[in-house]
Amino acid sequence: MFYGGRAACLLPIILVLCLTRNNCMLPVAEAIWLTIPSSGTKCVSEEIQSNVVVLADYYVIDEHNPDHIPTISARVTSPFGNNLHHNENATHGQFAFTTSESGNYIACFWKDGSHKQHSELTLGVDWKIGIAAKDWDSAAKKEKIEGVELILRRLQGTVEAIRGNLIYLKDREADMREVSEITNARVAWFSIISLGVCIAVTVLQIWYLKRYFVKKKLI
Amino acid sequence: MEKIWGKTWALMGLLLLNSVFNVSSLSVTVNDVECVYEYVIYEGDTISGNFVVVDHDIFWGSDHPGIDFTVTSPGGNTVHSLKGTSGDKFEFKAPRSGMYKFCFHNPYSTPESVSFYIHIGHIPTEHDLAKDEHLDPINVKIAELREALESVTAEQKYLKARDTRHRHTNESTRKRVIGYAVGEYILLTLVSTLQVIYIRHLFSKSVAYNRV
Repeated sequence: MFYGGRAACLLPIILVLCLTRNNCMLPVAEAIWLTIPSSGTKCVSEEIQSNVVVLADYYVIDEHNPDHIPTISARVTSPFGNNLHHNENATHGQFAFTTSESGNYIACFWKDGSHKQHSELTLGVDWKIGIAAKDWDSAAKKEKIEGVELILRRLQGTVEAIRGNLIYLKDREADMREVSEITNARVAWFSIISLGVCIAVTVLQIWYLKRYFVKKKLI
Repeated sequence: MEKIWGKTWALMGLLLLNSVFNVSSLSVTVNDVECVYEYVIYEGDTISGNFVVVDHDIFWGSDHPGIDFTVTSPGGNTVHSLKGTSGDKFEFKAPRSGMYKFCFHNPYSTPESVSFYIHIGHIPTEHDLAKDEHLDPINVKIAELREALESVTAEQKYLKARDTRHRHTNESTRKRVIGYAVGEYILLTLVSTLQVIYIRHLFSKSVAYNRV
């Protein structure tokens, strides 16, 4: 009901902006909305391989008081702990980087301490990686292509990204298969060694006790 | 004349380029309930996606009990729901336009990390073709092609998330094999040493048992 009311306000504006003969520049429909709790942080992460372009945009949405939008802070960390982006006291922000290492990239958002309201904030995040982050407008201008050719060029880019993803998945599967096979060999070896340890310890015990009893003149 | 055609194609192209809305696959940590919202512009759009529970350390059971997934329409009705699953795909037609809520509910106390991907695809229908005289039937075919490619990409993201989960299980197995094997050897040696010491103690002079 809450979001229904909000959507009812936004819908005519969005429809007008999107269905006119001009560019649809409104980023709302391309993003997901998250809620930031009144205390604590909200983090989103993604596992990204190296050498991938990441482009993200975040903005606070608050319709209750559009004149006084609450501010948030954001931080983006790489898998090795490097701080890629840090922003405080902002209602919107943007960050872009090319990944240098593969791993889990985390973006965390939290409310600024200046707002003591116990309401939850809505944050819109537009997170694009790889081919989705490519700037087609400038590429189209540079190569002077437009219309259907541009669309087909974009689809070709998507197909190439699909092929790249397949190769990546295949490599990961190969790595995992190696780990599985090593684990399999280790299970066999460790079980045999466990049996050997058991027998060796038994033999040592018996030898030691026999020596001990002989020394004590019991046998 | 050429210029007008070029401009028309460009405008159609731009209109089409913005008629597909998608999001990269993100992971959130679900402690209790985590909700993600996404706006659907056109009624009848296909909402498709997938989610996989990635991070879990199951000790005794062989499978995660699962999390619940619900999709709520802007009117408050539950459009789609999945219970007790550790990852699945979903696809349905949006009954109306508006803000849709996608919620993950974790009934257990351990926080889980869920990797999800939501895609909203729009294909122009005959109604749109009739309404907008600049829209050509070729745009419908291009939109269908684009949707097909998006579904392949979505499938790949799902496979990647499941592969990550499998890799976690593999790593856990590898660590357990080494850890438990070495622990077993040490424990065995310790227990047998304790046995010997105890037997020695039984036969020692302080206990009035030995006969010399």
